[in-house]
Amino acid sequence: MGRYVIKRILAIIPVLIGISFLAFILIHLRTSDPAEVALRVNQVTPTPEMVDAMRETLGLDKPFLTRYVEWIGNSIQGDFGISYVNQQSVGEQIARALPATLKLSAVALIIILTISILIGVLSAIYENRLVDRLMRALVFIGTAMPSFWIGILLMWLFAVKLNWFPTSGMEQASSVILPAVTLSLVFISTYVRLIRNNMVQNKTENYVLYARVRGLKERTIIWKVFRNSLQLSITALGMSIPKLIAGTVIVENIYAWPGIGRLCVTAIFNSDFPIIQAYILIMGVMFVVCNLLVDLLNSALDPRIRREG
Amino acid sequence: MHTSRKVYTLALLISILLVLSACTGTEAGNAEQTSKASNAELVFASTKDIRDINPHLYAGEMPAQNMVFESLIINTPEGIKPALAEKWDISEDGTTYTFYLHKDVQFSDGEAFNAEAVKLNIDAVLENVEKNSWLNLVAEIKETKVIDDSTFQIVLKDPYYPTLEELGLTRPFRFISPKSFVDGTTANGVSSYAGTGPYILTEHKQDQYATFTVNENYWGDKPQIQTIKWKVMPDHQTILLALEKGEVDLLFGSDGDMVDNESFKVLTDQGKYSTVISHPVGSRAIVLNTNRSATREPQVREALMYAIHKQIIADGILNGTEQVADTLLSTSVPYADVGLEGVQYDMNKASDLLTAAGWIAGSDGYRYKDGNKLELTIYYNSDNAQERTISESMQNDLKQVGIALNIVGEEKQAYLDRQKTGEFDLMYSLSWGLPYDPQTYVSSWRVPSHADYQAQLGLEKKEWLDHMITDLMVEQNEEQREQMYKEILTYIHQENVYIPLTYSVTKAVHIKALQGVGFNVSQYEIPFEKMYFEE
Repeated sequence: MGRYVIKRILAIIPVLIGISFLAFILIHLRTSDPAEVALRVNQVTPTPEMVDAMRETLGLDKPFLTRYVEWIGNSIQGDFGISYVNQQSVGEQIARALPATLKLSAVALIIILTISILIGVLSAIYENRLVDRLMRALVFIGTAMPSFWIGILLMWLFAVKLNWFPTSGMEQASSVILPAVTLSLVFISTYVRLIRNNMVQNKTENYVLYARVRGLKERTIIWKVFRNSLQLSITALGMSIPKLIAGTVIVENIYAWPGIGRLCVTAIFNSDFPIIQAYILIMGVMFVVCNLLVDLLNSALDPRIRREG
Repeated sequence: MHTSRKVYTLALLISILLVLSACTGTEAGNAEQTSKASNAELVFASTKDIRDINPHLYAGEMPAQNMVFESLIINTPEGIKPALAEKWDISEDGTTYTFYLHKDVQFSDGEAFNAEAVKLNIDAVLENVEKNSWLNLVAEIKETKVIDDSTFQIVLKDPYYPTLEELGLTRPFRFISPKSFVDGTTANGVSSYAGTGPYILTEHKQDQYATFTVNENYWGDKPQIQTIKWKVMPDHQTILLALEKGEVDLLFGSDGDMVDNESFKVLTDQGKYSTVISHPVGSRAIVLNTNRSATREPQVREALMYAIHKQIIADGILNGTEQVADTLLSTSVPYADVGLEGVQYDMNKASDLLTAAGWIAGSDGYRYKDGNKLELTIYYNSDNAQERTISESMQNDLKQVGIALNIVGEEKQAYLDRQKTGEFDLMYSLSWGLPYDPQTYVSSWRVPSHADYQAQLGLEKKEWLDHMITDLMVEQNEEQREQMYKEILTYIHQENVYIPLTYSVTKAVHIKALQGVGFNVSQYEIPFEKMYFEE
């Protein structure tokens, strides 16, 4: 097991270097000169002298590789540079925005788990009956709609018409409900399908037949089937956590939620390169690390994976 | 049986939800509106955070800076009026301005407002040449002097005529307490936002909201509304829903940046809210590149002037909220009423001009000369949906006279880069509005990074034009100045460098209980201090 863990950890190092290099080079492939952008976003008309001075300030006069090594070295220590727009530390801005996104993602995760398990199990129990069909249709409709559209619809119904929640912001405790529901809808259909199909498949296994023959109660059998079906879903869920965090971009904008998704969108509109680079790097690292953790968890549960690895 | 009972329960729940929404909807909103009949708090929705409101820099939102910081004088529709300076003298040679300050004015941190504080502030602006060089006055100030505690003097290098207008702008010449300075300057940020204005910034949660509370020690007339809450909502649709719910009292902005024309019309027609439109504040025009492709030819430029149906753009796209423009600057702009004749839509005249210029219609309906197709490209900022629709309308107009117009939407930064390089045939051009028009706008024509400069490069008299503008800025004689503006605007008009489309306006939508909603001269300011709720 130890060897497998070391091997997997070593394997992600080139991936992480690749991600960081991509994040760094993508910005430099743009036609706009970052020094000019930095001047313009502060409403300063760029003259050749000022552009030169700004290039020096931003360190753009140094060779490409030197800049990359410096950037990655500083990023490892949490220093992602200074925002062009507000001259604040990018690391501090991300640190300020991240808790809001984590809160939103955590609530969304709870909603995803609750609804998916509830609907998935009910659908599996009432397989191909009206309840199953109705629930799957509802989930399908819900998830087929784009996030911004469903977000606006939920806001109109539950905030404006029913007056149950505020439209946006995060000043009240209940503010998190609508954005979290909107965010979770995209994922619910995946998990409903996963849980339902796994359970339906498990229901035909021999152990279920054997349990029935033994005269076990139906409730106990369902519980056993559910427990056995859950293992696959946990793997999928592991990869959903970074997806949830990265998926907040649209929802955070609609609901004025001050998280990193919104920070990134604002940075894109302002061409605030240091924030965009940091966002790409952090999200990339998060996906790689979550993937690693899921792999390690699976290998701990299933020795065959370790042997194959 | 068991299943169908569950289905019925679910259907019943959904029905109840829909009925509830139908019944409670409008009441929720109305209840909020009537409860606003107190002057406790006004909630203003903005797509942007107030950010750093240091009055000497440009990162912050102007309406927020305007609430907290004041200038020596202010630009009003009736002209320049006293603010922190009670009165002023201008020396005969026009180079020395002496300001007599209000006594007993304090910054909100208790620091005295006096000539020394004024000098420290103005010197801080002058030292930060890099960021403030866009404003001519910064380069024109030779010296600042403290005469006594309440008398302050500015000495200029030349008799720069827009001195007072530029001193009255929202930035950079506004005053922050010297205690807020960091290392004796404001160039690298400030430690607090203590101003002399009617409001104090009391709370700021970045990207969420900012709260401004009345400055109890304000030297002037205190505003009636105690608190202004600046709520950040990046999405326009959310803002409209928040308004309907009663969470927001006021929307305010120019060029569709807060409320688009379609929504503005719907809200006006609903009659549930008050909607207000300002007088024309700026010019919306298309700038034609005289240094490139077919637009280099004067006759082609003239033909384009006749071929664009502006009324359709004003009525059909801008919903009649903006008035058709005949000249680049509205005649209500100072020095711009110079008797220029507007060009009326005339497709036949446009066709005749093109034929006379040798552009002959081909079998595909487009015109050709020496084997080249008459094909032009317009670029617009892809964030601006309105500009795309206007471009499409022009594309259709130009097709009628045999001109192919390609439309290219670009991300804002790429769009700005294109302005600098001059690689365009047609581009959008917005003037800055009063009080920047005409002097600051015309002055910017000399700066190579502006589309105007690049577009004018092909003009025979471009050098003359730039010199004329430079001389105009320091011309002391009023009549002579009028004459110079006339020559500049007439030349530009006759050369058809710009296709004036409409004069842009600022719009406001607010709940009916809110009164006193009006407009300052500048489209970038919001006069919160004049607003109140009906008791």
